[in-house]
Amino acid sequence: MAQDTTAKKAAVSADTTAAVPVIKKKSYVKDTFDGNLLIDDQTVMVPIKGTFAFEIQHRFGTVKNGFSDAFGLFAGANMKLNFSYVPVSNLQIGLGASNENMQVDGNVKFAIIKQTKDGLMPVSVTYYGNSIMDTRKKDNTTLFVNTSDRFSFYNEIIIARKFSENVSLQISPSYSHFNNLQGYLDAEGNVKPIWNNDNFAIALGGKFKVSDGMSLIANYDQPVTQNPAQNPHPNISFGIEMRTSGHDFQIFIGNYGSLSPQNNTFFNQNDYKKGEFLIGFNISRLWNF
Amino acid sequence: MKKKLSFIGSLFAVCMMSFAFTTIQQAKPWPVPAKDAKMANPVKSNAASLSAGKSLWNLHCASCHGKKGLGDGSKAAQLKTTPQDMTMASFQSQSDGSLYYKIAEGRDDMPSFKKKIPDAEDIWSLVNYVRTLKK
Repeated sequence: MAQDTTAKKAAVSADTTAAVPVIKKKSYVKDTFDGNLLIDDQTVMVPIKGTFAFEIQHRFGTVKNGFSDAFGLFAGANMKLNFSYVPVSNLQIGLGASNENMQVDGNVKFAIIKQTKDGLMPVSVTYYGNSIMDTRKKDNTTLFVNTSDRFSFYNEIIIARKFSENVSLQISPSYSHFNNLQGYLDAEGNVKPIWNNDNFAIALGGKFKVSDGMSLIANYDQPVTQNPAQNPHPNISFGIEMRTSGHDFQIFIGNYGSLSPQNNTFFNQNDYKKGEFLIGFNISRLWNF
Repeated sequence: MKKKLSFIGSLFAVCMMSFAFTTIQQAKPWPVPAKDAKMANPVKSNAASLSAGKSLWNLHCASCHGKKGLGDGSKAAQLKTTPQDMTMASFQSQSDGSLYYKIAEGRDDMPSFKKKIPDAEDIWSLVNYVRTLKK
């Protein structure tokens, strides 16, 4: 019994000696971007497992009317709320709702490859996809015959590299599909398409860190597919990002007025050459569970 | 005599009131398990570690603890617990393991950062940076 007690004491004593924690050698580059969003696009970042994110996005009207509508602040605005969660490492799932055409969406983001600190993997690669449903009532202004007509889809591969502590860039080719799109009647009364149902686009985005809490951000989005009519205009956007422990806030100016990437890729008619820019902001709140 | 007594009485009252409105806040003891307190810091305090630690400090800590660790961050006034002055020898006398434990586990107003800063290496870098706050 006495021996037993001595052995126990020895074990406790051994347990309290200085331990040197083991630090894993292979580690991934962190903070390539500060949040899920980079103005109108998704970033390569997937938050850590157990993160719950709540995002509020807002786009005002274009600034072209000047003081008459306070540079778009008093014009109609698009808003979106998005909730997402990371149930397992590298996979984020989300649900969103926007006042634009009463759209609701499910979205998924998966980190396929992550840039390593040792340089063996020079880039991070992430997939992002969504499925959007237009939930407006069926009437003369909508084109819904079947439920499937309400759906559109977006798929994107995001390739990013953090070049230094201050500079990160990403390039994102994307493919969008609308099940049903508006057409027009030609002179002979035949229905002709305005857009193709499938569109490709490419986006280039970047961040320049000014301080630990602030970065300059920019995006360029170029629709690639040529449509029979109403080709969309590209988007040039730039702004400021401010980050705290649990928040990420972006305020910017750009041409894209929609909060769904496929709507922007198909329908953007704001032309930067005509000065059709608008003010927008994104707010993200992150919780770790 | 009566005047003298009332003067002494008033002086006493003023002294008592000044004590009544002066709260000397003692730091609540924060016991750290011996095993954690004795844990050695495996991350060398070099330029890379200090730079990473400084970024984490500015992002997660400075809003309460202040830019220089004086406990005067912009959110400090809203806290129930006054953040300690980290520049003082009494704070800096704690072991690296103790600081790691407190950052990782949190208590009361101080949140736990083990989920927000999931890599142990980063918390150790933060500990290295906290050491640079010493006066």
